[in-house]
Amino acid sequence: MPLKKLVISRIQFFRGRTVSRACLMFKGKTGRLTCFMGWMAWLLMMLTPGCNKNPGEPAAALPTPYTITIPRYFPGNLDIPADNPMTVEGVTLGRYLFYDGRLSGRTQPDSLMCCATCHVQAHSFECGIGDPRFPDGHPYGLTGIYTAHFMMPMINLVWTNHGYLWNGLVAPENPLAGVKTLEDLAWIVITSPSEIHGDTAKVAALFQTIPGYPALFKKAFGSDHVTVRNMGRALAQFIRTLISGDSRFDRFLRGEYQLTNAERSGYVLFMTEQGGDCFHCHGGDGNPLFTTNLYYNNGKDSVFSDPGDRRSVTDNPLDLGAYKAPTLRNLAFRAPYMHDGRFKTLDEVLAFYNAQLVWSPSISPLMHHIGTHGVHLTPPQLSDLKAFLLSLTDSSFVSNPAFSKPSSFPDGSK
Amino acid sequence: MKNLCCLAVFLAMFAGCEKKPDTVYHGYGKLQIAFHHAAEGNPLQFDTMIYHSAAMYNYKVADLQYIISGVTLYRNGGEFVLPGTGGGIHYVDARIPSTRLWVTDQSIAPGTFDSLSFTFGLNAAENLSNRFPDPPLRDMAWPDILGGGYHYMKMNLVYGNSSGTVIEPFMFHLGIGQLYSSSLPNPDSITGYVQNFFRVTLLKRFIIAGSRINTINCTMQVDHWFDGPESFNFDDYPGGIMQSQPGMQKACANGRKAFSGTISN
Repeated sequence: MPLKKLVISRIQFFRGRTVSRACLMFKGKTGRLTCFMGWMAWLLMMLTPGCNKNPGEPAAALPTPYTITIPRYFPGNLDIPADNPMTVEGVTLGRYLFYDGRLSGRTQPDSLMCCATCHVQAHSFECGIGDPRFPDGHPYGLTGIYTAHFMMPMINLVWTNHGYLWNGLVAPENPLAGVKTLEDLAWIVITSPSEIHGDTAKVAALFQTIPGYPALFKKAFGSDHVTVRNMGRALAQFIRTLISGDSRFDRFLRGEYQLTNAERSGYVLFMTEQGGDCFHCHGGDGNPLFTTNLYYNNGKDSVFSDPGDRRSVTDNPLDLGAYKAPTLRNLAFRAPYMHDGRFKTLDEVLAFYNAQLVWSPSISPLMHHIGTHGVHLTPPQLSDLKAFLLSLTDSSFVSNPAFSKPSSFPDGSK
Repeated sequence: MKNLCCLAVFLAMFAGCEKKPDTVYHGYGKLQIAFHHAAEGNPLQFDTMIYHSAAMYNYKVADLQYIISGVTLYRNGGEFVLPGTGGGIHYVDARIPSTRLWVTDQSIAPGTFDSLSFTFGLNAAENLSNRFPDPPLRDMAWPDILGGGYHYMKMNLVYGNSSGTVIEPFMFHLGIGQLYSSSLPNPDSITGYVQNFFRVTLLKRFIIAGSRINTINCTMQVDHWFDGPESFNFDDYPGGIMQSQPGMQKACANGRKAFSGTISN
């Protein structure tokens, strides 16, 4: 592309509609300015031959901005770091990495592991229950060590505020470098004993040798030098595309679907304080993410032994036994439930909130039915509530080919 | 060397972009509102069971979030609305310092004003569902079936009787009320809705000084929500008052007396 045309296209990028999906979606002037400066720095690097690390190497083409389509009523502010704007090339690379078992840094067939090993699309990117590898739904790593917690939903993470994981450990507020963003989870997962239990340098070196990958890194990030940092950036970009916003309830909100009588009755129970009162923690018609992304002790226990609860992050005794409220989308695919997978079915979850809550000093004040151990809905009401929860099922999410395993990897392997 | 040149050129491009602090008043006054929270005469302490209501309950406050809107300065029979940021709507989370100071962007001709008032919550025209898709206001959403819009306030409490044998959470949440045709708050029997927002006159007869920032200190006395003029009995409303218009009516009657203001300039 001629230089002049390239510059004009970049300027149009910033002036046109696409910019509203790129830099203007960042929170505050500082975020937008940082994003803009990041793109400008990229532009300057790309357009200035003298700035190339390898003078003999031709300048890489600019990556194509990736437009996230925001479903109606969803938040407008996207959690995308200024230094990792969404690009088509980044998302493409991220999808390959997500599904490539060589992310373990090993090549033997019995030593492969990647995100998709546990994050299975058919189970809404959890491992589900009944998988022969994880029969009870509790994932474990390459060396057989179980993860500290069961899986969290990998849905709509582009709107994750207040940190990642059940306890919010990975958050901008974390003083530890490298434990702040979705991007950081790449090295965390690669090195975690209960996950890949690998070596970041080895992983990067392996991918450097796999035909096709260096070129994809160059397209996405301007350098064919494979780094785990850029792997994290690509993976995060792909994960941010995993958007679910087309359930029956979404269509109801958009006026495209009429809830059944049971679904409507359950919806009312979900949204009322004297009903099930689910919405204070899980959102609803004003918050279609179906989570506030905040942390609550929801009354599961009176004695606490998990060293990885929210208190482990905040050191606040009132966070004892508290975990992030997960989104309720796609519950049909996501058993088992809770941070420790203690409930195998949705009926067990409903029975718990109905009559099995237990008091503890750190229980969330939003659990205002604790005095009677639950909300005490009748069996027909529970059935209706379940019908509503299942109306949050988005089958297109678990069958979307853009989220599925690529037909082959960059080197032609499958 | 070329790399350094590139960097220098790049930095130079943005050197002039930094916004300088706006210190030019042109004789006008600037206004900011600082929100303070107190109980029983002292700064509010969260999560400590040290407060006692007139109805003989002990209680502690776990969360306090609310919305004010429509801040208006009145002078000479006319009125002057401060637009501020976000259309004059401000969200306060008493636990988050950054929300406790609202720096308005309005320049005000100095002089003596008759009064300053605001709406506690949102009035009917402003209180529209899905208006705020992003947190934190998103998480103040009030269910459509209960009237829609947004909570005016979420105050989450834990209360107990004087002997400490009963300890219960209580959701002191305010928003649009409902009228029910049945004795139980069954949403299918809702016959109408009640706008519970109210105006608070925070200051009377005060001076806005020119060429400086004027700070209005707005203090919410949390205990006033329960103590008067209507004594609030937690046990009358199991767990909360979102679906009890009598409870919200009593709360709002008390809330009108919960605010006090001063100005420093």
